[in-house]
Amino acid sequence: MNIFAIGIGGTGAKCTEALVHLHAAGLITDQGGKNVRLGTFLVEPDQQSTLLARTEIAIDRYSKVRDLIGNATESFAASEIDHYGSWSPLAGETPGVSLDQVFSKPVLRNEASGLAALFDCLYPPEEQKAELDVGFRGRPPIGSAVMSRISLDKAANSGAWKKLLGDIQTASGSGDPPIIHLFGSVFGGTGASGVPTLGGMLKSWLQQQGLSKVRVHASLLLPYFDFDGQGDQGTGVHAEARNFQLNTDAALQYLANNGKACFDQVYLVGSDIKARYDFSIGGRSQDNDAHIIELLATLGVRNGCRTPEGREYAYILSRSKEDQISWSDIPDSGVIGKGLARAARFAISWRKNYSLEVDAAQTTPVKTFASGAPWIRKYFSMTEESTSKSEGRPSIRGQDQLALKQAIDGYSATLIQWLRQFSRNTGLGFNQELFSEDQLNCEETYANELQRLVRGSAKPTLAEQNDTVDRIKVLMDELPESEIKYKGVEGLADSLWKLCI
Amino acid sequence: MKPKQFIPLIACVLAGVLWIFIGQNFVLQNVLGGLIAGGGMDLSLFLASASSPSFQALWFTSAAVTLIWLLTTTKKSPLNSAEVREMQPTWWICTTVLVLLGWFYQLFFTVLIWQISGVAPVEGINTNYFQVPPGGWITLLVVVIFDVGLLFWLPTMFASPKSYRLVVPGAMKFLGGR
Repeated sequence: MNIFAIGIGGTGAKCTEALVHLHAAGLITDQGGKNVRLGTFLVEPDQQSTLLARTEIAIDRYSKVRDLIGNATESFAASEIDHYGSWSPLAGETPGVSLDQVFSKPVLRNEASGLAALFDCLYPPEEQKAELDVGFRGRPPIGSAVMSRISLDKAANSGAWKKLLGDIQTASGSGDPPIIHLFGSVFGGTGASGVPTLGGMLKSWLQQQGLSKVRVHASLLLPYFDFDGQGDQGTGVHAEARNFQLNTDAALQYLANNGKACFDQVYLVGSDIKARYDFSIGGRSQDNDAHIIELLATLGVRNGCRTPEGREYAYILSRSKEDQISWSDIPDSGVIGKGLARAARFAISWRKNYSLEVDAAQTTPVKTFASGAPWIRKYFSMTEESTSKSEGRPSIRGQDQLALKQAIDGYSATLIQWLRQFSRNTGLGFNQELFSEDQLNCEETYANELQRLVRGSAKPTLAEQNDTVDRIKVLMDELPESEIKYKGVEGLADSLWKLCI
Repeated sequence: MKPKQFIPLIACVLAGVLWIFIGQNFVLQNVLGGLIAGGGMDLSLFLASASSPSFQALWFTSAAVTLIWLLTTTKKSPLNSAEVREMQPTWWICTTVLVLLGWFYQLFFTVLIWQISGVAPVEGINTNYFQVPPGGWITLLVVVIFDVGLLFWLPTMFASPKSYRLVVPGAMKFLGGR
């Protein structure tokens, strides 16, 4: 099955980041429990956005692991991903372009004065003149105007859209029709204007192409954060937390009237307790931490893959304690909790132990090293000078092995950073009972104990003193040969993935 | 401890008991007797009064050190390969101490205990110690080394648990095969 995820705006990018991590953890599966193929596409006028960059880093790092591993694992990084890139609705415009330049206001005034007057009526001068490089400044009307200029028929002929729409067409020919899932906020600028606009365009395009089996879903985020501080005169038009509710009301009214023309399924997620972010006009300074709400929004993709077409029940998600979120508050908590706990335990075990062990093995005679690490014999050649395969096992010093190790290092660091962010970014007076934030660090120092990493019901039922990386190493050493299908770093990572929970 | 470690450990303990308490005296009497007794020492009396007690003391000491080694390595949860390998010098210190103690036990039960008590080990002889010839001493010292191998090296090699299972010298060679 194919899922095409389109993240629109900063929040959309953050949801896509969460989706990549869930997908990497093998949690996005179809009704049969098989991993889906995920295609990602980001729509963001603010091409300097840190949120966009962070999501692209997560995608790139997971893609690199996938490229190097290929099909040489059974469980670890087994889910396919394809990134179609990021696209700006202002692509082709000059840097610092403003709304009046996008709509060529002088030309409009000369050739259609009525339209120019309407333009003046809809957009005050400061919105007309605001530079849009940093996004739509929390103003959905600006975004709607820019977004509605997109023609998917034209876009389908070039660039990233061409490949994305081409793949949607190809995938729809398979037995299991694909799902297009859009992410974005309804209270900001880009997402609020882009999600319904693009959703409607995609639905129309699919109908034109005769691809009516392709479903369009959306996860729409209601307000879940506020700003600490606000912009000043120098920042010009900017997003303001006081407008979030107004924007949300307008978006929900639009969806109530036109939602079915845009989406087959909608997931609305928000929070009454708001996270606090430093004010940013956009660009590199917009570095908001990940949030649990984005994870919940992403779970809409999982639900959408597993819910048969035509089911129109309304589901309500809530939490059992007012000031806390725990695993039991998360949909399908048994599977999701175990999957995320596995991912977190893998990332910490890898980054803060196995990876350092592979590094240490580079400067120690291989048999000497193995005398203190018996597990290594299962995956790597014991021939001292070998840099190629021996007995079907590669050398631990092979360049291909080190490249894969570095790729897994990179992805693990990204995953730990994301887990740490959403673990600490809960909002005032609200806490989470999912992960221990202090255990989620990427420092390149050895760690052995895992018992405090995961909290609550997803925590493995092991005696605390036994929950160590050393225990996993011993289990690896005891694995029968028949259970180690792949050797080298890929086999090591695969075994660690299976044994770390 | 896994069955594949437990069985060799039991075998080593049984072999050690049989060797120290039965087999060794037989070998010392019938095979190495000429080297140890030299010029007419009462070999049976020497084996009963000096050799057996000293080797039995070595057995008890080795058993205790082996037990401590196995308990220590069972209890530890090492951080990495380097931390596991840090136990290698400890193992060598244990082995060296056991050999030195074994030699000391020989000296003690053959010479010192009689000197301290002021009693002659053999009636009718003025010297208050067993007169073991140089060849006999060398033989006894070599047998001590052999016994430490049997009583400490083999059990620790076969039964060192978990991440420590290949840290004992020789383990990589004999047990490291896949």
